[in-house]
Amino acid sequence: MGNTTDKVKILTAFEGIANSRALATYQNHGGYEALKKALTMAPGDLIEIVKNSGIRGRGGAGFPAGLKWSFVPKAEGQKFLVCNNDEGEPGTFKDRYICELSPHMLIEGMAIAAYAIGAQKAYIYTRCEFYEEIAWLETAIKEAYSAGFLGKNIFGTAFSLEMDHYSGSGAYICGEETGLLSSLEGKKGQPKLKPPFPAVSGYLGKPTVVNNTETLASVPWIINNGADAYRAIGTEKAAGTKLFCISGPVQRPGVYELPLGYSFEKLLYEDAGGMLPGHTLKACIPGGASAPVLLPDELKGLTLDYESIAAKGSMLGSGAVMIIDTNTSMVRLMEIIANFFHHESCGQCTPCREGTGWIANIMHEIVSGHAKEEDVDRLAVIAKNMGGKTICALSDAAAMPTMAIVQKFGDELKAYIRKGKAS
Amino acid sequence: MTQQQATETLTFSLNNNEVTVPKGWTVMQAAAREGIKIPHFCWHPGLSIAGVCRFCMVKVEGRPKLEIACNLIATPGMQVTTETEEVKAAHKWALEFHLINHPLDCPICDQAGECSLQDYYMSVGKYKSEMTLKKVLKPKALDVGGDLVLDTERCILCSRCVRFEKEVTKTGALGIFDRGDRAIISIYDDKKISHNYTTNLVDICPVGAFTSKDFRFRKRVWFLKDIDTTCPGCSTGCQVKLYSKPEERRYYRIKPRFSETNGHWMCDEGRHLYAHMNPEKRQRTAFTPKQDNERGSKEQRVRADIRDALAFLKLKMAKYAPSDIALLVSSQLTNEEYKKTFAYFVTFLGVKKVFAWRDSAENIEAFDGLLNRGDKNPNTKGHAASLEAVGLPPVVSKSGFADAMASGAKFFIAIAPENTQGFVSSFDDQLKQLSAAGDVALFTSQAEHAKNPAFDLVVPLKCFGEKSGTFLNAQNMESKLAEKPFFPLNDQVKDLVEITALLQEN
Amino acid sequence: MSVKKVALPPVDKNVLSQAWGFVSTIMTGMRLTLTIFFKQLLKLEKSETLEWPEAPATYGDRFKGRHFLTRREDGQVRCTACYLCATACPAECIHIEAGQHPSNEIEKFPVRFEIDILRCVFCGMCEEACPVDAIRLGPEFAMVGGPGENWVYTKDYLAARPELNSGISSIKSENNKHSTIDHEPTAKERKTELHFGAGH
Repeated sequence: MGNTTDKVKILTAFEGIANSRALATYQNHGGYEALKKALTMAPGDLIEIVKNSGIRGRGGAGFPAGLKWSFVPKAEGQKFLVCNNDEGEPGTFKDRYICELSPHMLIEGMAIAAYAIGAQKAYIYTRCEFYEEIAWLETAIKEAYSAGFLGKNIFGTAFSLEMDHYSGSGAYICGEETGLLSSLEGKKGQPKLKPPFPAVSGYLGKPTVVNNTETLASVPWIINNGADAYRAIGTEKAAGTKLFCISGPVQRPGVYELPLGYSFEKLLYEDAGGMLPGHTLKACIPGGASAPVLLPDELKGLTLDYESIAAKGSMLGSGAVMIIDTNTSMVRLMEIIANFFHHESCGQCTPCREGTGWIANIMHEIVSGHAKEEDVDRLAVIAKNMGGKTICALSDAAAMPTMAIVQKFGDELKAYIRKGKAS
Repeated sequence: MTQQQATETLTFSLNNNEVTVPKGWTVMQAAAREGIKIPHFCWHPGLSIAGVCRFCMVKVEGRPKLEIACNLIATPGMQVTTETEEVKAAHKWALEFHLINHPLDCPICDQAGECSLQDYYMSVGKYKSEMTLKKVLKPKALDVGGDLVLDTERCILCSRCVRFEKEVTKTGALGIFDRGDRAIISIYDDKKISHNYTTNLVDICPVGAFTSKDFRFRKRVWFLKDIDTTCPGCSTGCQVKLYSKPEERRYYRIKPRFSETNGHWMCDEGRHLYAHMNPEKRQRTAFTPKQDNERGSKEQRVRADIRDALAFLKLKMAKYAPSDIALLVSSQLTNEEYKKTFAYFVTFLGVKKVFAWRDSAENIEAFDGLLNRGDKNPNTKGHAASLEAVGLPPVVSKSGFADAMASGAKFFIAIAPENTQGFVSSFDDQLKQLSAAGDVALFTSQAEHAKNPAFDLVVPLKCFGEKSGTFLNAQNMESKLAEKPFFPLNDQVKDLVEITALLQEN
Repeated sequence: MSVKKVALPPVDKNVLSQAWGFVSTIMTGMRLTLTIFFKQLLKLEKSETLEWPEAPATYGDRFKGRHFLTRREDGQVRCTACYLCATACPAECIHIEAGQHPSNEIEKFPVRFEIDILRCVFCGMCEEACPVDAIRLGPEFAMVGGPGENWVYTKDYLAARPELNSGISSIKSENNKHSTIDHEPTAKERKTELHFGAGH
């Protein structure tokens, strides 16, 4: 059904509005109406609406949000909702934009989600580096409490919701949902073995739903405008809008709310204004550091949605579009990516713990001119054998870009090694 | 309901064989039962599932990725294969990842010879390493308390030890610190591990990261032979393996083996119960009083053959009326020994003054909640039952020794316990009292016990590693000593079955 | 008892030519012997025969003679007491007792390292098994002594011969662990005095 690729402002509706974070401003623009409406409906119907809207998780994996909610056992009991606001993927800066523009939109979305799944307690887990956003969120939670949108018997109904905020300690792995839950429980932030999945046994062993900020912030609009309206935006399989963070040597880098299925070239050349003068497009990472790099040829005619990027061998991920120009050394880029994953691997699973370190060490050898040409092929072999073998997806996140860079820029790496040897 | 669930089974295919297992079992459990070896490091049947070593990869038909067998719950009709090329490559690479930062200091590592890394290299590895870079260096040979030496460099971070501390002893003394390949196992703030189960960490550690201070550098494991026997340390009767180098008649260590009684574990106290069997601790020959015509040392006793000593004992017993003889027996003999001993002394000779030689300050009821009991005798129940069998009151109490002293007997036939390490009261005091009490025939395996020259009739005994037989533990379960025990120290030491046979034949 | 009479084989008519064949071969052989004998008698050629033990005799470096233990640069034995030599030894003549070294860098070292040389079969398996090149069979071949000699070589003795007759240094540098010999022995080093006798 969805085939509109015209721009709709859902998440960025408060762009340009003065004092947009305040509760009053939010209410003036129809804030908390969706919650009021939702509380008159049955939780099961809400889940149905969200399912029908076709919204998929915006954190990176793209799992249908409504489906995730429906996995939570219907039985009475303690349940939790957690907002994953630990925006750690390099190149991503979308969730903080929501916190900056309209934290109440997130809180309202969370209240609706909590009602739908039957949670009595909700947490927002924000990375500690977002100290301003943390302050804004905390203010917003306080405002919502005093206005009666949180706390006991919201809108006079039997539904009560406590909401709290928790800030991480700066680990990338705490952006993974079970890693986040471990951290929230006060343990070392490392992912938990699945199964059991968080929807069955999550925070403190209770059913828990973890959703990305962007996903939850889209919920009020879906409730207000209906599933069909949301589904009308985007493509058949990827409904709705998504925040894209474009960075690199472009004229206007930043966050753009675009319907899924939007043309990459339009984003780069129209919205972002094209490359900076003197810079030529060399490659693009379409979904954060863990997404495989794409070459200009592959970018031609590319549309920004889950399926078409996957068809090119990469992923939409968090929507962090990183533009790489011809002045950038892929060797250095690869080293930085390898260093990042080496530093952020939690060290739990052996292939990731040892593999990320190994890749990083080989990259250091290459950069410092001590490597041999066969080390480049070794990188690909290591990456191939560490991917898909671990509890969480961090080993894949480290392996995929490595394999892509070796495959697509292997010659550049080898040339670098030869040159390093000669000098 | 739960009963029904427990018996509910399902069938799935493992390497093209139909396997029926209880519902809820993992593929790893099924494979372990079927004898199919799936390589693993972090999985341990006595601990929770961690799923971190990623070694136990198996192929499930219809799933895109390989799955880990330890966390793969078997479902009906599932088709699991453990030996495809893909699985083999996954095993090989999992091993490579484990080994790239392993120091390979096998020559100085006590684990060498029984190390999972070595074994798996031979069974699923045998590759040429791709690793050409420097390894990550970490702290080595750390004292973390208890009986433990920790080498974080050898550690493969399987987290078995962390889980053991958390789940079994509930002390939580260990944790994994730092992340990535910098991660190390460590204790918190120098709070050393101090409980009675530390050496289990050495057993469960699949590599040489934890080694035992007691066994450290003493012998390479491939020189050792082991027998399945029972720990004589307390009335729990843990099932153990006793390791010895038979040529040296020297014992090196005790490790637990799985049984209903003790699960996978045993206490540190029991682990040390091999030392008293080593040659330097043993009573190697019998002593008899020196006769007037004999020359030799100034001592009033001379070394003698055990047969002569027993003949002498019979002569001596003939001098006393049975009512003047007291039989003082420890609770550390086997049921078979009690049977023969009581049959000879009580039924045949008519000695009615039979007392238990035990720790006079023991707390028989004490129990640490896991395995270790306050009753430091392995066969208290068997002792009592054997007394009853010959028509004596089945009283095996801590006052036995004092009662014997007060019984007015003139001749004491005293069969000493071999293990007095757990005694609260002073065993030396008991020996002193005994030496002053009258005529004594002392049966013991320990040279220490017979040190006092006042004991002029001494018969050397075997220790538990050299004996066969059964114990009856605190829960009335029978546990066996080795069916084929180690060769005894020499031909002089005997157990009481042999001794009573000798007494009867002369 | 009768004796069976056996006819002698008929005499070959070519007996003379056959005899000549023998004599000529003997003479060919004796020619070399006699040539060398007279050459050496007249000092025209150097004799290969050694007047051992008065004159020194050396064997090649690879000769599997009496063992020695190599040492670290600081003089401590390189041996880590891994027992691999003892394990490999078919004669079971190596006895090791390991201990904790004060330095954590080394960790394990032999408190006792003894070789019962009378049991030794000089097979060189210990040398092959050693992962750290700590034990080697040296070029000393002459081990003479009576029953009163101490035939069990201790660690101190095995490691206390830094300069062996053929010039192999038993001190090896740390960063050169896996090379066989630190430096090629010079001709002068090779001619150092032979170590006679046995035991210590």
